[in-house]
Amino acid sequence: MTPLDPTPRRGDAGDGLGARLPRIDGRAKVRGAASYALDHPVEGVAHAVIVQSTIPAGRVRTIDTRAASAAPGVLLVLTPDSTPPLRAASTWTGEAPTQPEYRPLEHTIRYTGQQIAAVVAETLEQATEAAALLRVAYDREPAVAGMDDPAAGEGNPLPPLAIERGDAALAFAGAPVRLTAEYRTPREYQMPIEPHGLIARWEGDALTIWEHSQWLDGMARTYAEWFGIPFEKVRLISPYIGGGFGSKALALAHGALAALAARQLGRPVKLALTRPQTFTAFGGRAATRQVLELGATAEGRLLAIRQRGCNETSVDGVWIEPLSSVTALMYDLPNFSSQQHLVPVNTVLPFAKRAPGENPSAFGLECAMDELAYAVGVDPLALRLRNHAERDPQSGKPWSTRRLREAFAAGAEAFGWARRRMAPGSLREGRLLIGWGMAAGTYPVRRSPGEAMVRVLADGTVEVASSTSDMGTGAYTILAQTAAAVFSVPLAQVRVRLGDSSLPRAPVTGGSQMAGLMTGAVDKAARAAREELIGLALTDPRSPLRGVANTLAVEHGHLVPPRGEAPPLPIGALLTALGRDRIEALRDTLSENGLTPEDRYRAFTTVSSMRPPTDGDYSMHSWCAHFVEVAVDEALRSIRLRRIVTAFDAGRLYNPKLAESQIKGGIIMGIGQALLEGGMIDPRQARVLNNNLADYLLPTNADVPSIEVISVGEPDPHASALGGKGVGELGIVGVAPAIANAVFHATGKRVRELPITMADLV
Amino acid sequence: MKAFSYHRASGLEAARQQAATTDAAILAGGTTLLDLAKCEVARPEQVIDITRLPGLDEITVDAQGLRLGALARMARVAEDAAVRTAFPAVAQALSLSASAQIRNMATIGGNLLQRTRCAYFRDPASFPACNRRTPGSGCAALDGITTNHALLGTSEACIATYPGDLAVALVALDAIIHLGERQVAATDFFLLPGTTPEREFALAPGEIITAVTLPASRAARRSTYLKLRDRASYEFATVSVAAGLELDAECRVATLRVALGGVATIPWRARAVEAALTGREPTPEAVREACLLAMQGATPRPDNRHKLELAPRLVARAIETLLWEERA
Amino acid sequence: MPSVTTLLTLSINGQDHVFEAEGRTTLLDALREQLHLTGTKKGCDQGQCGACTVHLDGERVLSCLTLACQAEGRAVTTIEGLAGPDGALHAVQTAFLEEDAFQCGFCTPGQIMSAVACIREGHAGSEAEIREYMAGNLCRCGAYPHIVAAVRRAAEGLA
Repeated sequence: MTPLDPTPRRGDAGDGLGARLPRIDGRAKVRGAASYALDHPVEGVAHAVIVQSTIPAGRVRTIDTRAASAAPGVLLVLTPDSTPPLRAASTWTGEAPTQPEYRPLEHTIRYTGQQIAAVVAETLEQATEAAALLRVAYDREPAVAGMDDPAAGEGNPLPPLAIERGDAALAFAGAPVRLTAEYRTPREYQMPIEPHGLIARWEGDALTIWEHSQWLDGMARTYAEWFGIPFEKVRLISPYIGGGFGSKALALAHGALAALAARQLGRPVKLALTRPQTFTAFGGRAATRQVLELGATAEGRLLAIRQRGCNETSVDGVWIEPLSSVTALMYDLPNFSSQQHLVPVNTVLPFAKRAPGENPSAFGLECAMDELAYAVGVDPLALRLRNHAERDPQSGKPWSTRRLREAFAAGAEAFGWARRRMAPGSLREGRLLIGWGMAAGTYPVRRSPGEAMVRVLADGTVEVASSTSDMGTGAYTILAQTAAAVFSVPLAQVRVRLGDSSLPRAPVTGGSQMAGLMTGAVDKAARAAREELIGLALTDPRSPLRGVANTLAVEHGHLVPPRGEAPPLPIGALLTALGRDRIEALRDTLSENGLTPEDRYRAFTTVSSMRPPTDGDYSMHSWCAHFVEVAVDEALRSIRLRRIVTAFDAGRLYNPKLAESQIKGGIIMGIGQALLEGGMIDPRQARVLNNNLADYLLPTNADVPSIEVISVGEPDPHASALGGKGVGELGIVGVAPAIANAVFHATGKRVRELPITMADLV
Repeated sequence: MKAFSYHRASGLEAARQQAATTDAAILAGGTTLLDLAKCEVARPEQVIDITRLPGLDEITVDAQGLRLGALARMARVAEDAAVRTAFPAVAQALSLSASAQIRNMATIGGNLLQRTRCAYFRDPASFPACNRRTPGSGCAALDGITTNHALLGTSEACIATYPGDLAVALVALDAIIHLGERQVAATDFFLLPGTTPEREFALAPGEIITAVTLPASRAARRSTYLKLRDRASYEFATVSVAAGLELDAECRVATLRVALGGVATIPWRARAVEAALTGREPTPEAVREACLLAMQGATPRPDNRHKLELAPRLVARAIETLLWEERA
Repeated sequence: MPSVTTLLTLSINGQDHVFEAEGRTTLLDALREQLHLTGTKKGCDQGQCGACTVHLDGERVLSCLTLACQAEGRAVTTIEGLAGPDGALHAVQTAFLEEDAFQCGFCTPGQIMSAVACIREGHAGSEAEIREYMAGNLCRCGAYPHIVAAVRRAAEGLA
């Protein structure tokens, strides 16, 4: 590149994929101009407020609505008695409903915090006041507050989750080194800073919903099925999402109520959950418990792991937090046995929070590996290298790419791990006990089809459109980069529209699959549009380049004859010459995923088309290694993080700046999980007592040390069209055990239950 | 939140009269009142905004001591150079409270009148039993989760912790609360729950805090406030300590002032610790032994036993810090 | 019936706005629901997250715990009022963009209003000081290290 030619060449990062660029949606966000769900101005909107049950089990006997109905401004009070049923919707996994009706308000109470009524009024203040005036009488029944409640029992076995590989019992019994420990994680909550809420508006039989969504098409399908209207009659709009972390993927009961109230009142309804209500209006991460038995040689080679685990679920639903997901594949392990039970308790059905399964699975395994390292007197990093799995021990398939060794090396080098002394308590600075801990993490590559429209306009700009969503992941930016690369135009010439169910389809933004599948779909559509442009340029009679050459390249937004047969022609000039205002291509990647056009609706509105990481010839996963330093006050036992180094392999990074941000975000959520976060459940009312952000402690800026992240990935051709693996969930996996291991190194105290607090170290 | 009418007080006397009715509430910073109104714990019919009353927000430090107008904002007091020099425990307690935004809003008077963070107190719809809220209704906390509940000054009726920071420093440093003409020692202002937990402050209907004064002393000048919590910031104290120390010419303890936060139903003056060290040479052993008395008389509960250990250690840390400063 | 509304005039971003408000209406709800200034966000409505941070007479406060009536006669500044009249971004806004100091962007208006005040107060002297004085603004995406970098960068630029 010369000073006369500041535009990057094709193949350089430039404004294309791989470039370290700021978010294209950033300007709107820093100006407060990004429109989140409840920011949308809607004429004549009424305000709805939800009321939740205060008992954990039983029935709503009566709700006295007289005072509420008579309160100023009240338009409507919905109770189980007064609310008509909706049609039942199929599940997000694509299963048909088992009952014909869906009742967003029921008499039967299964958990504290279940929604039992709603009040709609002219103003938010009026609705809030009236909601507090409802007098609810219950018939109470016995409840199970949590999995440690004596009434909870062992729970129900989950045979499909059982794994028997080799003979773990025999190998464990004969192992020279054996250790057994129980690891526990509490209920944890996603707690995006944008609380859940929506605006619903009917126009005839068409329903418009402004609601944050990690899955426009899935949620639109649910609303359509609930109200018995065609999918196309529902328009879900969600250009910006104030964080999701798994909690904004499904249409929820309060959404049904808002839409129902809007239909009944004949005017738009805005419904916002209060912060306390967000602790029970949808599920957080299930509490888990697992006993691990590790058998190893005297040198620390793993011989066997036996795992017996359970997670909480609701009394009327099944949520699986798979505790074997990391245990089964992280190390070269010939003998593995895993069983898991589900323990029904009176809670809202748990759901996905960042890396469901992998996260608690890694907490158990990576703490246990540290314990094994001390049992055999081997450095924890050396122990992991000693047990490195050259292929996936569970599926037997080769890894597509696994640069975990490189991550260990890069992380250890940057951290200075080689200087670590093994003995707990061996590092101190004055009153502070310093601890160094490490752990590995992994997250699978999930794949689903995508769909995108790419349009080239006469002014030379490029438009990208899809219903996929950007909740801070960087989708707007990387999809713009994808198109920019194909047309070799600056990012400023690309516009991206996302988060609208009327746009081309996309599957759930979850399972860390969005970037891989959507860059693939946009790249395909953009290439198709480019081919059409080139074809028209070569053959259309109105084209200035007709007959000039046999092929054309597209460079810097120009059509370029390969040997300089004619001057480069701006794309816009070609369209003008052709008398066209646009060239557009709509493409999907159904066929790449073994699907047909007939599968389209189901593929995007359910997760039935999501392919597991071992579908195909390879086992595909992202990998990471965390190295952390903690300081524990010797007398006061307060724990503070001092620094973190994380090296990771997520394949090719489409925009390293944004990918690194996401990895850091995962690490910081892991800090909260390790040291601060946990639902406190009242044993009598089964109520989440710390249902607010002063008592359920998220990390603050002051809790977060310097964090260095290092990408060691290289493109993985099997994982996605353009070589990336999942980023979003990877960062959190392994953070909590790395911190727990560092606390052990500092203090000699092994804490096996999260969060680790001062109280645990006294 | 229940509807209320908003009145801007025209003068202190008018505000007193308006506030004397049972359904009125005084609004200063609003950070406690509006929070509790949203929880349905506070249900005023009238809110009397006193924030624009003149002359109530002054900060004065002179040879006699410190005078804080009741409407002085927490942030201003925390940043005041003279306060930081002459009453470091006061400035530090304020700096370690809440967040920068809340410290810009909340006032000295309002801060003292914070209500407990007891989860059962704050949730009337789910937990009707709360003697502090509804006398005679019972106490849901007694058999509940008590990690954040008090070990000292509890009663059968209530075990809720006083949550504030500033009051701990004020109680340690013998502050006087001014209610217009009437004056009450800070140590008498906060009431033990006993059988009447609904009475939290020595404040008659219509009385308004107008100022807080602290006498100047060497112990106040050599004072500190330490706050222990799991989250590095923006969290209420697990344990906090305000301490002030004066050594005599022989390096024996002439004066020691110690108060505890986060562990008691009121800001807790630890007089047993003070007595054990006063007149003695503060050797490490003597300090450690004296600090063991900090939680004398405590009634731990299953979820908060760790505070029995942590509180004496934090007191020791505070005294060690002051000794180190004194010798430096 | 105390649920009467009064006509309130608030000066927001240098402009007077006249609207009907109840005594209990918070500044946050007035901004969002009545004046359609939705840049200010509601994250908890309990003074626990900082998303609703605005300036009152130049000082950062939580609009969820401020009554609209209390703001009468005082200068309210929201995120919409931070950029110049020509749309030129404030130095803190630019720094947030450059440092990628946000992901979802929801807490960002509050972070930026808090950061502007943090610098003005003289609390941006070191990384540790910034962390402590920005601790009242929660960010669940975990942009904290970048927020610290942005505040430092802006503070140096404004110095």
